Amino acid sequence: MRAAVALLVVLTAASLSAAEAQTDFYARLGLTGTTKLLKDDILQQIEVRQSLAPTLALGVSFPFTPLYGAGLEVTVTSSGFHSTESGSQTDLGTLRTGSIMLGLDGPVWRQLRWRAGAGLLSYWPAEKRGIFLGGGSTRFLAGAGLDYRRPVFPRWELMMSLRYDFHRFTTDELVARGFSGTQGVQRVSASVGLARGRR
Amino acid sequence: MKLPDHLPILFGLGGAVAALACADIASPSRADRYEWRRIVATGPGTADTLSFHWPRSRLPVRVWVEDTLNLPSDVQGGIDQWKAAFLYGEFDAVIVPDSSTADVVVRAGSPVNGGFSVIRLASTAPECEGGTDFDLPSGSLELVPPIRVFVNPRFDPATPGVAECLALTTTHELGHAIGIFAHSPVATDIMFGDPVVPALSARDGATVEAAYHLQPNLSIGTR
Repeated sequence: MRAAVALLVVLTAASLSAAEAQTDFYARLGLTGTTKLLKDDILQQIEVRQSLAPTLALGVSFPFTPLYGAGLEVTVTSSGFHSTESGSQTDLGTLRTGSIMLGLDGPVWRQLRWRAGAGLLSYWPAEKRGIFLGGGSTRFLAGAGLDYRRPVFPRWELMMSLRYDFHRFTTDELVARGFSGTQGVQRVSASVGLARGRR
Repeated sequence: MKLPDHLPILFGLGGAVAALACADIASPSRADRYEWRRIVATGPGTADTLSFHWPRSRLPVRVWVEDTLNLPSDVQGGIDQWKAAFLYGEFDAVIVPDSSTADVVVRAGSPVNGGFSVIRLASTAPECEGGTDFDLPSGSLELVPPIRVFVNPRFDPATPGVAECLALTTTHELGHAIGIFAHSPVATDIMFGDPVVPALSARDGATVEAAYHLQPNLSIGTR
């Protein structure tokens, strides 16, 4: 019995070690551009937009076949947001976002891979006022992207990524004021970083 | 070069989802509002419509308040209510310690005529009164700061109802000071001539939003 347990422990450790060896970790820095968050009309047309945002992405991916993997990617952005009316902009403060996305990845061509997934995106305004008077907002998110990798060190690869995602935006304050429906918001990001693992 | 078979499906799904993502949010109707501009007779059969709002370059508006009758708290409450009416940072105000640098001065007491051309917007509730004076020199379209707000209890301030009256009247008068130059005809609005509600209505909100998105014809000088 003792020998069987010992064998089980050794086999489990060996399989975990093998899985860890195949696990893919990465971190990237980049920029995210966003379409308008809101369009309104108060005698004149008003648009609210988040500025180009520095972005940090962290992720992990586990291969489940030789070609395909499943993973989790977390991104954080921080930038200002502003309204535009008759060509003049008004700073509305700082807006941070955080997203978590579960996805699949697979090959496209050579070191180019696709990635697609779904998850959640949260808006964290620095101040509770204006459209965020009732606080931030959490929305469903779906997206896809491309990753290109190139070996730079043993077990380390340079990773360049393009991401596209979308969600439908609204806030408690907008709903309370009678805005109906939600605003389609699309985001595109480009980032560069390092990946360690799958080779 | 051969691409994986699943790629066209992925791109197709992505395109469909992107098309769904394009629809815009729908703004609420803000048509239910009242006239906020002041229409003054300029001669036989002629009139002028005066409108004002604080320009972005003057924000935050500096408000000095006399430290009596709970006025500092009432003024802060009024500022907070008016700020909350806006979605896009159109208005902001802070309480300052020195009246000599203030854009708006709030005092306890009966409104007094300053001795020059003054537009007075007054409110008359049973328990207290209020007034807001704007100094607009004859022939000028530039207000002279500060805008002066007065609130005054008609009875002993400890009398039931007086504190509530002072609070809502302060909010009402601040509404004049930020650009609502007229009274609402509806009693459920804070800008009703004899205000009775403690908070802004949706109509008050829609009105002040409109006031801040229409080019005014009055400006204000600097101190």
